[in-house]
Amino acid sequence: MNKSKVFSHIGKYAVTYLFIALSVFFIIVSGLDINYVASQLLLRLNRNAFIVLALIIPIVAGMGINFAITIGAMAAQIGLLLTINWGVTGVPGILLAAAVTLPLGAFFGFLIGKLLNKMKGQETIGSLILGYFANGAYQLLFLFIFGTIIPLNSNVTIVGASGVQNTLNLTGSVGLYTAIDGIAHISFLTALYIVSGVLALAAVIQFVRKKISAKRMAATVALAALIAGVFSIPGVAAVVNGQHGREVRLPLVTWLLILALCLFNSTLMRTRLGQKFRAVGQSQTVANASGINVDRTRVIAIMISTVLAGWGQIVFMQSEGIGTFQTYAAHEQVGLYAGAAILVGGASIDRATNLQALVGTFLFHSLFITAQSAASALFGDSAVGEYFRAFLSYGVIAVALIMYAWRGTRQKKEGQMNLAGRDARGG
Amino acid sequence: MSERAKRKAGGGRRLTAVVLFSLAALLLIGSVCGYVLRGTAASQANLDKMRTSAVLHAASEGLVENIAQQARAEKLKELRADKDFRKRGLDEVNAICDAARDEARAEAEKMYSNPVVSDEAALENAIGAFEGVLATSGTLYERERSAYAALYVSLVENVSDWTDLADGATDDAILQGLADTVPEIAADENAHLRDGFIRLARAMAQAEQEKEAAELQKQMIAQMKGDIADWSAYAELDDDALWASLVEESSDLEAAGDFKPALLEAAKAFAAAAANGEALPEQAEAEQGAETFSETQVDYGYFTPTEELAKEQADNASAYEELKTQLVAIIPDLSGLSDKLQDTLRTNVETVVWPGSLDFTARYDAYMAHGAASVLAGSAAATMKLASVAEVLLLASVALLLLGLVMYGWEPLTKRFGVPRTIIALFFIYLCLLAELYNISVPMMLGNVLERMTMYGVLVLAMMPGIQCGIGLNMGMTIGCISGLLGIVFSLQFNMTGFPALIFACLSGAIISLPLGWAYSKLLNRMKGNEMTISTYVGFSFVSLMCIGWMLLPFNNPKIIWLLSGRGLRVTHSLLGSFAHLLDNFLSFKVLGVEVPTGGLLFLAFCCLLMWLFSRSRTGIAMTAVGSNARFAEASGINVNHMRTIGTVLSTVIAAVGIVIYSQAFGYAQLYTAPRQLGFIAASAILIGGATVSKARVSHVLLGVFLFEGVLVFGQQIANSVVAGGGLSEVMRIMISNGIILYALTQSGGASRE
Repeated sequence: MNKSKVFSHIGKYAVTYLFIALSVFFIIVSGLDINYVASQLLLRLNRNAFIVLALIIPIVAGMGINFAITIGAMAAQIGLLLTINWGVTGVPGILLAAAVTLPLGAFFGFLIGKLLNKMKGQETIGSLILGYFANGAYQLLFLFIFGTIIPLNSNVTIVGASGVQNTLNLTGSVGLYTAIDGIAHISFLTALYIVSGVLALAAVIQFVRKKISAKRMAATVALAALIAGVFSIPGVAAVVNGQHGREVRLPLVTWLLILALCLFNSTLMRTRLGQKFRAVGQSQTVANASGINVDRTRVIAIMISTVLAGWGQIVFMQSEGIGTFQTYAAHEQVGLYAGAAILVGGASIDRATNLQALVGTFLFHSLFITAQSAASALFGDSAVGEYFRAFLSYGVIAVALIMYAWRGTRQKKEGQMNLAGRDARGG
Repeated sequence: MSERAKRKAGGGRRLTAVVLFSLAALLLIGSVCGYVLRGTAASQANLDKMRTSAVLHAASEGLVENIAQQARAEKLKELRADKDFRKRGLDEVNAICDAARDEARAEAEKMYSNPVVSDEAALENAIGAFEGVLATSGTLYERERSAYAALYVSLVENVSDWTDLADGATDDAILQGLADTVPEIAADENAHLRDGFIRLARAMAQAEQEKEAAELQKQMIAQMKGDIADWSAYAELDDDALWASLVEESSDLEAAGDFKPALLEAAKAFAAAAANGEALPEQAEAEQGAETFSETQVDYGYFTPTEELAKEQADNASAYEELKTQLVAIIPDLSGLSDKLQDTLRTNVETVVWPGSLDFTARYDAYMAHGAASVLAGSAAATMKLASVAEVLLLASVALLLLGLVMYGWEPLTKRFGVPRTIIALFFIYLCLLAELYNISVPMMLGNVLERMTMYGVLVLAMMPGIQCGIGLNMGMTIGCISGLLGIVFSLQFNMTGFPALIFACLSGAIISLPLGWAYSKLLNRMKGNEMTISTYVGFSFVSLMCIGWMLLPFNNPKIIWLLSGRGLRVTHSLLGSFAHLLDNFLSFKVLGVEVPTGGLLFLAFCCLLMWLFSRSRTGIAMTAVGSNARFAEASGINVNHMRTIGTVLSTVIAAVGIVIYSQAFGYAQLYTAPRQLGFIAASAILIGGATVSKARVSHVLLGVFLFEGVLVFGQQIANSVVAGGGLSEVMRIMISNGIILYALTQSGGASRE
């Protein structure tokens, strides 16, 4: 790699590197037990990764950060409410909620897509405000329509008034708490060895099939060996294997779901539909000229994203450590946190990958866990940490938007120079 | 759209209009019939018959419920005696008991459903007499209660420090303090209420102290939570050992004092959670909303009746006794009720006999709610129903008429006023009609609207230069708002009062906002075409950054910082001692019982005039040209970036002044997350006024803020009378405010900008 390449790489991932540095700094300053941080981090990763991954398709399709995934979360919450209302528990309950989310999310996604098509170039802000608007509609539904026009059981409604209770319990006889997480667990170390083994094996197979070069294969195998090796050092392994504190264990099925979504995202991109997404994302004018129905493609992208976000919200709600369903607040920060997370991972307004989503979630939440303790260590006040978290979330989105717009303006200027004043920027 | 298609659409609309008109006429006929039916003797007789039945039903309701609850309790006892009790879950036990209760209730209802009335005339007379007494005493009661409520609200809203007023003070001193805040308390007609208010002041002082203690306790818990890295180590300790090791880790805890039990409790919860590998429990967070117009809940516990009312109530009691003897004669079981159930019985009967007014609908609804439907047979039921819905029909008819008119004149109307403005204006007119119907005083409401216009007017005006110079809706005006809040906090820090404080706050806010606005405009100049997205997030980020700032800035006036921790600004600052309502009270006068905030209106008018003059100046015209067509402006030799800078800085500075005016009208300055949504509120107001993302005029500001606040004020009142409990008006605010911004975005259509 030559010098200019290194610089452009650092420029591209400046936010990510900044966050890595901040995370390390915060973990050290906060003085939190590393075993605690590791277990919390993995917990939050399996809770949030699904929703963050749901953001990728609209980004590829050139629609920016889809803050309207909040609406997907609302669809899921309607599904969960009905599931609780009908008293279906465990895995069937989750499947039922997911089944209700599918048509609702698809329908809402269709409407969102139609609306966003009318505000091309302003999708990010449009979807944000649409989320706020939908929050009003959601409250209308949950406060004044459920329980009156749509009858519900008395165990979910407020007794003596209209509307759904503020908090619904998911534990106990409701039976939705850890319905997916609790199916099977695997120890972190075992999972790590399996993953690095598979990685190395895949590289060798690819090499034998002559898909990749020997150098690439060697690098991958070495990386896998390195990861496995690092965690074989007793000191490192102690962080996760329970010698100090608790053994870190992963909910197997949830991780399989996240893996499946990653595979879905990457396979979809290789299909005709995925090609269309990419074409529309790169240039709507070119895509239109090559016979792609631009508006329709964009609507499909948002529909898929909305449904996936809904399922992500179900994964989130059932996960360990949640236990209650905050009827009127659970969806509010979904868009903000997911959007910030994917941007931290190095995604931008117009490109994103699975890896960026996962890395971003990891980094974002590592700051989230440590911010309070770090702030109280630095400033003697943990409330500062609370505000710092909010600042990070908004700030990282602002920075990403600014960098994207900056690049756009620069490209436009160059284009203007080339085309002697003709506007080269598409919608 | 082709000419033909247009004509076709116009024809369709006219047809719809005709259909709407005929529907309106139909409903109007129905409504007239209803009003006529109300007057007939048969309806009155039916109504009386319903009243008798409803009273009997209400009387037996308490009995039935009593029997049902007893059955439930017995079932529970029986279950407890059972040896399998522990095996059953709580839900199952509840289900069994509820079933038993419902069964008993059904049986009891059957038993009391058809009481034998021997002397119907006597019963009806007794009810009639009771109704008569209740009607006079009830009106008086309502009037006194509402006078009390008004005083209560103004006290609760205006007293800034109850502890200061009431803690350890004598009755006379408290009364003096109360009268200083709300002079009406000293008036003779309120003499009977004074003792109650003194008690209220004491209770409030105590509550305030408790709240502060709770806040401190919360802070201490948070501190302790952060201080200790590994909670799981503490799981197995007993109380004393746990406390000792906690104090060792976090030395501040030595001074815990009374909070020790709560801290221990929290520590145990943390330790238990950590030991189980769960996330540490979070403390409930008090979220500060942007809109702080929550109405004060009036507590009637401190209400004392006047002598006149007390006498009326005594009459009331004797009339009730009369009625009760009649009822006991019919349902003998009533005599054996406990005191508590006797009270319930009386309340039940009273709500039926006196449902707030003797209006036809009110009576009908109250009787129907207490099972009077059974006395009406066949056609009588239908006619009574029609008579009772006459008002609703009338209202629906007017609504349809309006809708029809709009459909008929849709094209000229929307061409002239634009779609959203037409819809909101119509909605406003309809709300005014509804207010009339629900006996809400329209002039009073208009007074509220005026007050809120002075509050939000300047903030909305801040949107205008932003739109004119081409950056669109300046959501980042929160930067200016925060500068203004800093100005206010400075004036509080230096203990300034009166007009000097107001002027100082405005000026220092404006000065702080200048460099910030300049830097912000430089940023936006590099981001052409994406301003709204970026300004929104820059605004959000700045608000959260300043949240940290409010915590850490070295203000030290004990009046504005957290007393207990000795640092960090408080969230809400009362401006009562400094400049609350100063402008609004300046030259203010009363018209039709409405307080007109003259000073505030004058100031708003002055600002608007300045803005109007500016937009007619050379610079102003050049700026407007940049906003409406940047490329054309550039071609005619205008420095686009320079104009955008001027507009953005102007917008930021006006926002800084605007928040000072807002705070004086509100009476409080709110820091931290409170300013976050102000940009959205201002944007929706100016859009409702008819502005677009590239064009705005002063008239849009004034009309917009009037319509937006008008719809909110009326909507809130009406929503509260239609649906018990707030919420609906908040939902309406969210949907209108964000809906209008969405609409504006679809109109700007991305590519059409630039």
